[in-house]
Amino acid sequence: MKLLKLIPARFVIGVVSAVSVVIGAESCAPRPPFRTPIPTPTSGPVTTKPTHPPLAEQTVRSPLPHEYAIKEQDLKTKGSVSSVSPTLGAKEPVRGESRSAAPFSAAPLPDDSSLLAKITPGMAPQRVMSLRLTEEGRKLLDGGDITKALSRFERTIVVDSTNAYGYFYLAKAQYRLGRYKESLNFLDVAESRLSSEPFWLAEVHALRGENFRALGMTQKAEASYNQALLLNSGNRTAKEAMSEVQGEK
Amino acid sequence: MKKSKLRIFFVCLIALLLVTSGGLVFGAWYLRQLEETVTAKFAGPKWRFPSKIYSDSYLLYVGFNLRLDELWDKLRRLGYYPTRAAPKSKGEYRYQPSPGILEIYLRDFAYPTEPFKGMQVRITLQGSVITKIENSNGGEELFSLEIEPELVTGLYDHTWQERKVVKLSEVPSLVVKAILAIEDERFYHHHGIDPMSILRAMWINLRSGAVVQGGSTLTQQLMKNFFLGDERTVKRKAKEALMALIAERKYSKDEILENYLNEIYLGQKGSQGIFGVWEASQFYFSKSLPELSVGEVALLAGLIRAPNRLSPYRSLDAATKRRNVVLTKLSDDRIINSKQYEMAVREPLPHRELVKITNDAPFYVDFLRRELAENYPNDVLTADGLGIFTSLDLQMQRIAERSLSEGLKQLEETYAHLRRKGEDDNLEGAIVVLRPQTGEIKAMVGGRNYQKSQFNRVFQAKRQPGSVFKPFVYLAALMSGAEGNKKFTPATMVEDSAFTWSYEGQEWQPGNYNDEYFGMVTLRRALEKSLNAATARVARDVGIRRVRDVAHRLGIQSSLPVVPALALGAAEVTPLEVAVAFATLANNGVRTQSLAVKQVMDVKGKMLEKRDVRVEKIIAPPLAFMMNHLLKGVLDRGTGELARRWGFTRPAAGKTGTTNDFKDAWFVGYTPDLLAVVWVGFDNQSKLGLSGAQAALPIWTEFMKRATAGTPITDFVPPPGIRVVEIDPLSGQPATSSCPYTLREVFMEGDEPTGTCPLHPGPALQASRQQ
Repeated sequence: MKLLKLIPARFVIGVVSAVSVVIGAESCAPRPPFRTPIPTPTSGPVTTKPTHPPLAEQTVRSPLPHEYAIKEQDLKTKGSVSSVSPTLGAKEPVRGESRSAAPFSAAPLPDDSSLLAKITPGMAPQRVMSLRLTEEGRKLLDGGDITKALSRFERTIVVDSTNAYGYFYLAKAQYRLGRYKESLNFLDVAESRLSSEPFWLAEVHALRGENFRALGMTQKAEASYNQALLLNSGNRTAKEAMSEVQGEK
Repeated sequence: MKKSKLRIFFVCLIALLLVTSGGLVFGAWYLRQLEETVTAKFAGPKWRFPSKIYSDSYLLYVGFNLRLDELWDKLRRLGYYPTRAAPKSKGEYRYQPSPGILEIYLRDFAYPTEPFKGMQVRITLQGSVITKIENSNGGEELFSLEIEPELVTGLYDHTWQERKVVKLSEVPSLVVKAILAIEDERFYHHHGIDPMSILRAMWINLRSGAVVQGGSTLTQQLMKNFFLGDERTVKRKAKEALMALIAERKYSKDEILENYLNEIYLGQKGSQGIFGVWEASQFYFSKSLPELSVGEVALLAGLIRAPNRLSPYRSLDAATKRRNVVLTKLSDDRIINSKQYEMAVREPLPHRELVKITNDAPFYVDFLRRELAENYPNDVLTADGLGIFTSLDLQMQRIAERSLSEGLKQLEETYAHLRRKGEDDNLEGAIVVLRPQTGEIKAMVGGRNYQKSQFNRVFQAKRQPGSVFKPFVYLAALMSGAEGNKKFTPATMVEDSAFTWSYEGQEWQPGNYNDEYFGMVTLRRALEKSLNAATARVARDVGIRRVRDVAHRLGIQSSLPVVPALALGAAEVTPLEVAVAFATLANNGVRTQSLAVKQVMDVKGKMLEKRDVRVEKIIAPPLAFMMNHLLKGVLDRGTGELARRWGFTRPAAGKTGTTNDFKDAWFVGYTPDLLAVVWVGFDNQSKLGLSGAQAALPIWTEFMKRATAGTPITDFVPPPGIRVVEIDPLSGQPATSSCPYTLREVFMEGDEPTGTCPLHPGPALQASRQQ
């Protein structure tokens, strides 16, 4: 453990970044947008078709260290590097945890944050409702009404459990409340459901970085910000946080 | 002689003085006691406010498939009334089937996170699907609408006194004047007792030969309600009068009047007593006090004399007569003018159904009490008037109650050996219903008859899960490859034959039902058919410790013995634990914390506590998906296939559970949005003699059919990293065109079989494809 602590954080981040770049370069194929036509509502029961696009072009890669499941002891060990480097005793990923490769994005991705823009004709009503509720919750959250926002976001996943944005915003609300472990838990769920949306995946990584930073786990935070910037160099949260973190050094 | 007479006189005088002074001292002491009693009541908390338990609210939105019968039932329970004309007052609704228009005048409701604002809404329906929601005032289009939660029950000590305290300034003057006119018109002129009123009452009572009228002032009535009983004795009346005099001396008329308006008993709604004018206004008219018409005010004032006999819920005729008496009095006293009188006297009293609060979820409420006990002692719960908002879906709760009671009755009719007469030997059952993505407990039935037994089998009964435990073995197997152990896929062949498992010096021989063995079978078939020997072999290969760990990770909290028989469910768990563990699978490997209490609000509407949805990713989504896919096979082809024949056709996964000795029967099953666990057995552990498919599955099927009717059909969504291969179910290898039966099997990317079916040589049917 002592040996691990001697490894400079910048070196670790450098290794992580290099690995990420290589992975990104392997999978720069454009991803299909997150739009799936859904049957028009009828008087009878409505079927929700799976909303995942085909992933034939995906490349399986080893997850980056910061993507491992966050265990409680990790959160308690501020600045621990034991789980940062995969070669230094970090746990293997959970079986089946084949994360989709993130495309490297040199240029900032277009803003995909509007959930109302994702509503398309013929979309399943529960999906539409869930997106609207998420948007409504987002406004409440921006307005500082976290409790009301949290109730909205909880509703979003009741109405449509496949709404990954709902999980993302639940994480954001928990982060605002200072419940970082809960926030990270919601981010784990959001991440596994947003693997085909680089813009949103970058948001997930950036928020994860914010949580790690708030927990005093600066190295993990930096790795998360880096990952966010790899996915979307225009991610503001990650950009600002990175410059702040580096300024602090 | 004179001297002795004088002595007697003095003795008598002294005795008289002693008696008089003693009496005076006693009287003073007694008055002091009464005064202390009155002061303590006025200065301290006057009333106990029962905490109220509410169900979850009901969300409607555009595109929502509205189950109209369910909605009518809900509106009725919430105290909404259908009208022929467009709703004009809060609490009214109108449905016009031909254009498909539903108009509701929603009430205000104090919800912890944000208050519901009452408004008139217009819902357009196409068939039963909502196509438009708009605010009738202004036509603003809404995309959703929340119907307020239902009151489930109150938590109280001895009697349930329903009351909302209002200030005198909040009570319209007409209400005050009407009550004073009919109950105590000289209220502002007497000092607590009114001799004129007493004389008048005595005269009337003498003439009629019975006690038909009281001469009590309003202050006396208040004293009687605060401190004394209903007995008609001179002692009580004297005490009442003394206390009234004390109260009048110490407190202002307005203070006394305000207390009276909040204290007065005004009716009964089942176990709920209606106290105070605010509560009565809601109960009889579904209106707040300022919204009452002249006629309604008159009726409210008139009810004080005999709230139950004169109640419009009981007799419209009696209520109308009494109202008119009050109206005449108000007109005579020029409190209302003749026009107001004429209008009010012609106003018909609408017929309304009295919907009593019956506590349809007693087991759920008991569970809540336990959940709340840590933060809120019983004394707080029964006196502080908390609002407890829960995840409970009352509609689902009723369906669960009905499915369980009908199912158990049906079992007793079908199987004679289940009909027993012993007090503690009745066939029992339990259901718990969860929403997997949030962990919300939507319904809970802890036993067959709450009146007979309050033992809540959902979380208090630890029973052997039997085969319900097997999916944990198979999940551990699917996970084992990644840990450098033997790799298992749903198509892995395992041997189903008798064998002996030697473990830590002990030997165990798992046997199949009826000693029937199937030789080499796929992992899928072993699970679908719940084969004991094959499952035990898998558990042996995986390691029983790992199986135990998986069960704990998913949500089983009871201690599990690390013994081979654990693979077949030789442990004791509660139905709630089983529900939480399987909800983790249903929720793509994300474990949620079971959630019954959502918010707690104090009597002033301030939120004291909010319990959030808590999640933790426990297993990788592809693994959870594979398990769900395997367990779907249980319903489609395996031990649960009867559910399909009985008409439950939605995509769903599940597992039957039967213990070795046939003491417990289980079924746990779920769609992506709803999970239910059913347990059937005897409390005294006597033999049930039926399998999970025979005893628990029919109840589960009936519940799920009713609970999901009309809701969107959803299926488990394959996450990235899943491949689907058409295989031969016998060989577990990719199917050829010669294979008589094929099955679309799911594999983790990279784990899919690559050969072709050796049993049926031929060209490969199709290349594997990614999901």
